[in-house]
Amino acid sequence: MLEQLLIFTRGGLILWTCKEIGNALKGSPIDTLIRSCLLEERSGEVSFNYGAYTLKWTFHNELGLVFVAVYQKILQLLYVDDLLSIVKQSFSEMYDPKRMRYDDFEETFRQLSVEAEARAEEMKRTKQVVKPLNGVKKQGQVSKEETKKSNGEKKDDEGKVSSVSNGNHKMEDDVANGKENSADNNINSVGVDVSKLAKLRSKGVRGRGGLRKADSLGSNKGSSKVEPPKKATKKNRVWDDAAAAPKQEEKLDFTDENGDNGHVDVVAAADQGESMMDKEEVFSSDSESEDDDDDEPRSDEKPEAKKKGWFSSVFQSITGKANLERTDLEPALKALKERLMTKNVAEEIAEKLCESVEASLEGKKLASFTRISSTVQGAMEDALIRILTPRRSIDIMRDVHAAKEQRRPYVVVFVGVNGVGKSTNLAKVAYWLQQHKVSVMMAACDTFRSGAVEQLRTHARRLQIPIFEKGYEKDPAVVAKEAIQEATRNGSDVVLVDTAGRMQDNEPLMRALSKLINLNKPDLVLFVGEALVGNDAVDQLSKFNQKLSDLSTSGNTRLIDGILLTKFDTIDDKVGAALSMVYISGAPVMFVGCGQSYTDLKKLNVKAIVKTLLK
Amino acid sequence: MENLEDLKMMAEQWSNQGIEYLQKIPQDQLYAAVGVLLFTTVLLLLSIRLVRRTKSNTVLLSGLSGSGKTVLFYQLRDGSSHQGTVTSMEPNEGTFVLHSENTKKGKVKPVHLVDVPGHSRLRPKLEEFLPQAAAIVFVVDALEFLPNCRAASEYLYDILTNANVVKKKIPVLLCCNKTDKLTAHTKEFIRKQMEKEIEKLRASRSAVSTADIANDYTIGIEGEVFSFSHCCNKVTVAEASGLNGETVQVQDFIREYIKP
Repeated sequence: MLEQLLIFTRGGLILWTCKEIGNALKGSPIDTLIRSCLLEERSGEVSFNYGAYTLKWTFHNELGLVFVAVYQKILQLLYVDDLLSIVKQSFSEMYDPKRMRYDDFEETFRQLSVEAEARAEEMKRTKQVVKPLNGVKKQGQVSKEETKKSNGEKKDDEGKVSSVSNGNHKMEDDVANGKENSADNNINSVGVDVSKLAKLRSKGVRGRGGLRKADSLGSNKGSSKVEPPKKATKKNRVWDDAAAAPKQEEKLDFTDENGDNGHVDVVAAADQGESMMDKEEVFSSDSESEDDDDDEPRSDEKPEAKKKGWFSSVFQSITGKANLERTDLEPALKALKERLMTKNVAEEIAEKLCESVEASLEGKKLASFTRISSTVQGAMEDALIRILTPRRSIDIMRDVHAAKEQRRPYVVVFVGVNGVGKSTNLAKVAYWLQQHKVSVMMAACDTFRSGAVEQLRTHARRLQIPIFEKGYEKDPAVVAKEAIQEATRNGSDVVLVDTAGRMQDNEPLMRALSKLINLNKPDLVLFVGEALVGNDAVDQLSKFNQKLSDLSTSGNTRLIDGILLTKFDTIDDKVGAALSMVYISGAPVMFVGCGQSYTDLKKLNVKAIVKTLLK
Repeated sequence: MENLEDLKMMAEQWSNQGIEYLQKIPQDQLYAAVGVLLFTTVLLLLSIRLVRRTKSNTVLLSGLSGSGKTVLFYQLRDGSSHQGTVTSMEPNEGTFVLHSENTKKGKVKPVHLVDVPGHSRLRPKLEEFLPQAAAIVFVVDALEFLPNCRAASEYLYDILTNANVVKKKIPVLLCCNKTDKLTAHTKEFIRKQMEKEIEKLRASRSAVSTADIANDYTIGIEGEVFSFSHCCNKVTVAEASGLNGETVQVQDFIREYIKP
């Protein structure tokens, strides 16, 4: 059952909540949804989890309405999407911007929800019927192929799907078998199995129902770890696998049909009677394919509709188009996605962004004298600015002063993959802090790569900054801890911890890093990433975050707090890495390294980046 | 049908006459006339816009997410918070006569109130509205003040050092919301805490000079502890309760700068 259904404006005013099911929600799932999903340009996603709840939503962009349904995560409610869309439809009819109360919607909603539930129930039932059908179809493949070759591909797909699902069965069964090794049991079960099978088959010759029962019985009992019907499913699965494989070949070569037929017969010798059933299925699949045929022209119409003349497009641009549809947006979004990708934005992220923009524009009215492409671009620009605007304060100086008041050093840990410039930029940050009368100490915790400590020592000497080092082959976590203690003793304000570069897949090194962070609880975990990186940025950051949270021993996990983007001077207009990194981690870009000297450290200029990205 | 035919004939005649008349006029005179017409319309439009801008009646509601801006907006507009609010994703805008003034006789000048979302991702939206603002109401959550103190102060600092605010001396009202709750902090306490925070920010922000985005202006007097009275624009403090509809002080503030 639904926990709650809300309708509110994008401005944030709740227009209607269902009072009938108005359970008090634990925490504030709606606010969390808005803050961490919808405002993070993730509204293209399907659902959002908050505690024990799952939230689904849909927008009415023309009216600026948001519909959110909340339900328990453990419940698999199939009708929620359907319900949301019909609620959206009927509510938008009665919506009036001046009206604030919609008490009479209660009745409508009750009806709609009953309808939706009934529909979902029906769907479930038909699905249950269809599924076993697929299972049987495989044996009847040959005759179907003969009658309707055009359907071949589709059936193949189905065959594959069901063979996969059977594969799952097999795994379950095997596990169950492994658990129950008693031989007696097995013998008994086989006996029961065969007799049962025979019975079911004799019934099943005429109707599919019998076999479906056998299947469902099999799967049910299989899950309850009772042996008998398992064999039945197993047998089925054997034919499936055998039949599914040749089917793929059939797609290429239809001459083998007879051979396949024979093959199927050999393996499934017990089931010859079933070829009768196939004919029935042919009908059923025909009706399906007819449905498909009905669908196809519809999809064909859309491109035709798009191919309107030049004049009508001009006319549209003047009058403003009624409502933007998905098909209208597609070309513009595709172009935009490509442009983003040429700017080195990871493909995955460009895709997600476009989905989000699409969700925010669909159904919106196009203003007069604007083109779709410019509207899309405007929406994307807004989205990019939203993403790149830091969520938390990036004023490190303020944090340093706060830590100083508490009489403890402010600890910054630099992490990242090899060769991105951790030590160099650590020195730049140290220089910047030193310029503002903050006493800095470096901690050489790269005890792995030879020469790393010497490199840092050189920087320290040039900047006249104390350095804490313990040589090589020490545990970096311990070195860092000692460094922090030392800093507390001598009254340093900031400790900059240099760590060894590591690839995101290197388990032992990531474990060491996680230990270092958990042990020392730094104020800031700074991920150093190079601006040259493309698709790998996503992998790097997500894996670092993943490993940090997986390998952490304590309850509250520390993730990456900020990003330092290096080698920014080498990339010209390919600034996409900044976007990829911020989007995937949600952490702001705190510094940008843009040169060789100590002074070459900047803050990210969001507007310039967005401009470059959309240029 | 005949009527239609007649009309057609008439129209043709008229058009012919018109064309003849036009052909009589010298070409350059015609162009000059069109030019003058265009010029005047453009001038008219521009002047209308300018007049409008000088007499701005825009009041901005700003503040952190969850401080109660949207509720305040609807309290001022409708005198009711309806069925509650959630985090705003877009600004709420409206030009209206304040709810409590509906009963007043005579013509009252409507206020253009904008509720700017407080979520940090939507901050840039504020800058779009600042150029037209006549007054700013900065809403602070008096109940959950301490955990949000730093973030709120930073936001307020950004507003106070904004070029538009400094140049036009836009008055700011520090509105302590949710005072209906027992544990809410007093406005004096909040003012002092925020002054302290801004003092610290002044020190740290002036340090961020290497950054390519820096605030254009500094606030307060060099060498003195910061106080809101040092700002070149007027900063006042008030209490309100959006939930109970106690917004008298906010209304007074709005009416002080937008004369009815």
